[in-house]
Amino acid sequence: MTGLVWLCKRETLRVSKLWTQTVLAPVVSSILFILVFGLSLGGRIKHVGNVDYDVFIVPGLITMGMVQAAYANNASSIFQARFDRYVNDVLSAPLRSWQMTLGYTIGGIFRAVCIGGSLLVLALLLVNVPVERPFALVAAVALGLVLFSALGVVVGIYAENWDHTTFIANIVILPLAFVGGVFYSVDVLSSPWQELSHVNPVFYLVNAVRFGFLGESDVSVWLSLGVTAALALPTYAWAQYLFTTGKRLKA
Amino acid sequence: MFREDPPALDLRGLTKRYDDGTLALEDFDLEIPAGAFFGLLGPNGAGKTTLISAVCNLVRVSGGEIRVFGEAHDTLEARSWIGLAEQDINLDRFLTVRETLLYHGGYFGMREPEERAEELIDVFGLRHKRDVRAPKLSGGQRRRLLLARALMHRPRLVILDEPTAGVDFELRQELWRYMRRLHAEGTTILLTTHYLEEAETLCEDIALIRDGHLIARDSAHGLREHFGVDRLTDVYVKAMAL
Repeated sequence: MTGLVWLCKRETLRVSKLWTQTVLAPVVSSILFILVFGLSLGGRIKHVGNVDYDVFIVPGLITMGMVQAAYANNASSIFQARFDRYVNDVLSAPLRSWQMTLGYTIGGIFRAVCIGGSLLVLALLLVNVPVERPFALVAAVALGLVLFSALGVVVGIYAENWDHTTFIANIVILPLAFVGGVFYSVDVLSSPWQELSHVNPVFYLVNAVRFGFLGESDVSVWLSLGVTAALALPTYAWAQYLFTTGKRLKA
Repeated sequence: MFREDPPALDLRGLTKRYDDGTLALEDFDLEIPAGAFFGLLGPNGAGKTTLISAVCNLVRVSGGEIRVFGEAHDTLEARSWIGLAEQDINLDRFLTVRETLLYHGGYFGMREPEERAEELIDVFGLRHKRDVRAPKLSGGQRRRLLLARALMHRPRLVILDEPTAGVDFELRQELWRYMRRLHAEGTTILLTTHYLEEAETLCEDIALIRDGHLIARDSAHGLREHFGVDRLTDVYVKAMAL
């Protein structure tokens, strides 16, 4: 287990060494969303259901900040390690493949938790967001972070250049987060947009996290957690498969 | 002394065909006794780096068997016995000199790597660069750190892939001294090099490979006798022309 501990330390060290880029920047960006959308638009959109608009958007913004960071951290960390070939130091070490998968996944989770924790504290101060269902919140965050951290590992292993890693972040994850009900309840959408929202996996994650904070969401929390788990487990298994077989990592 | 030990490296029928169809090694057999200073010579593309990568679990072999001190090369135990300094500098850009050694030691299961790291920092003359990150080191310092990293976990088999390629005369002499000291301490060394005088000076046993096949293997003296020439350079030229 010593090797796993050191790999986890290395992946978290990278986050802490570059904290202005890895933690501060996403926190500032999310807080700006809360200030600009919540406090300015909040004057026009008073409530969503029974919740103030500035409170309503906080769970989605925290989710968006965390999943983007979890993905980006691991995609860039492992791609850099492949690109510079210092990944060989890990691949040749007496580590089991599950330890490599877990070690590389931890970095994204750590970074996302730093961002999520910072945003939670700031959101409590700024808009006094409640935490109505803490267990559901922890489950939703855990599943979401496994999903996007593992996705980062997979993309980092398949990527052949930096554009590939940023493509997924900018063209897939960010748009899905924006149309996943971060800023609105899908109940206000007309057909077919409301139905289409239900095929967006980020929609379920945002709703599961929102349920954890506010105790209410657009869909059942069990469905949200189930969909997120159904995506997280195979994605993690995919990352594990790549480390077990050495595919894309070893010639 | 070493005859009772299993060979440091035992390759049987090792074959590697890359995804693009290139056959880098074909049915390759090689045995390196424990404690040997072994040289592997061959032109670019001969299969030297593929062989090393296969031993270190960095390529997926297509066939054959690799044993390290009697253990299958992909077991955790065998992995922990190998130290590799690759041909190209592949240092973690986020880590300082000290961290590079500590983390490597950690990956290889060392519980308290601090003392060993400090010892190697002194041995390799990197004390004044201890807290400097790898990209800010000079070429020679990086090369020394690469070698220090390979030795960090006290491996029984050290594999050095062209460690003196592109380094100046002073550093080459310095690296030779490190290698000799290692060997004197009982470590098995597998060295690949393009410099024939390096192989002749350092290695007890030399293998010549070409196109993924073993062409000849003997001491430098034995090779010269076998090929009926006076210099290892002539051995090399003759062997590669076969």
